[in-house]
Amino acid sequence: MWLWFSKLGSPKWFYDLSGKWLPWLVAFMVVTMTVGLLWALLFVPEDYQQSFTNRIFYVHVPVASISLAVFPLMAIAGAITLVWKMKLADMVAKCAAPIGVWFTGVALATGAIWGEPMWGTWWVWDARLTSMLLQFFLLIGVVALRSAIESPDAAARACALLSIVGAINVPIIKYSVEWWNTLHQPSTPLTMDSNSANGPEIWVPLLIMIAAVYCFFVISLILSTRNEILQRERRSQWVMDIIASERV
Amino acid sequence: MFDGIVFASFSEFVQMGRYGFHVWSVYALFTIFIIANLLVPHLQRKQFIREQKSRALRDGQINGTASSSSAAPGESV
Repeated sequence: MWLWFSKLGSPKWFYDLSGKWLPWLVAFMVVTMTVGLLWALLFVPEDYQQSFTNRIFYVHVPVASISLAVFPLMAIAGAITLVWKMKLADMVAKCAAPIGVWFTGVALATGAIWGEPMWGTWWVWDARLTSMLLQFFLLIGVVALRSAIESPDAAARACALLSIVGAINVPIIKYSVEWWNTLHQPSTPLTMDSNSANGPEIWVPLLIMIAAVYCFFVISLILSTRNEILQRERRSQWVMDIIASERV
Repeated sequence: MFDGIVFASFSEFVQMGRYGFHVWSVYALFTIFIIANLLVPHLQRKQFIREQKSRALRDGQINGTASSSSAAPGESV
């Protein structure tokens, strides 16, 4: 266990392993994304209340739900950084923050675009939207904090702390629709009954899209973490070998 | 398979029943989001390797493919 743990902490080990995973992840993403998008756009029946704006959910729901994974991920990586000073954990945390800004921003924007015709407004200050906006600013805060502190070690510790504090917001976002009376609807339970308003013909493509977007999140995180590894380890021999052997 | 498509024509598909602008702007944003987050790290990696390569060539750390004399003299970082 400890051997595995210290191996996992080695940037080279992660670099080699993720290099083997990447082609499979990309293949999985391309297939699920193609199937999910075609299914969502062409085959999902028109909603009797929302007409074809229901297509927006097949982007909004995966992106928004995966954006909630970013702070817990950064908090765990931050805790590992604080306790064991593992270099790799801090690299992952550093790369996750800007990706999280993207995910949260796209979730907010797609939600607003849906809200405009359906609620009659782009924005309301209800608990779900406000806590999501808070997550957006917290993530920008983490990115800014990282670039504001010159010493990499101090920046890592400060970002780890802010990530752990910021993760408190995640359950607030998640349960905001239940705790408060929000305009944002609560998540709809899945049902196998195809006569129901949300039978399998509605949620199967949604699950496929969630898988595709999750895969996309992992790929983009791996890509930028690998760049970060190369950058920080550029003086070590194995990185020099990669640089020498790679054609550009 | 195509029987299940809910649109009778391509223009119906584009219009998305009055909501074409909303639906397609969401999908356009999603496309930009996906491409940006895959392309940017890819380009950064290429850029980094190119920079390090020229630096290594200059410092004479890579032998063979290019002689160190090809590096511009006096250009040190």
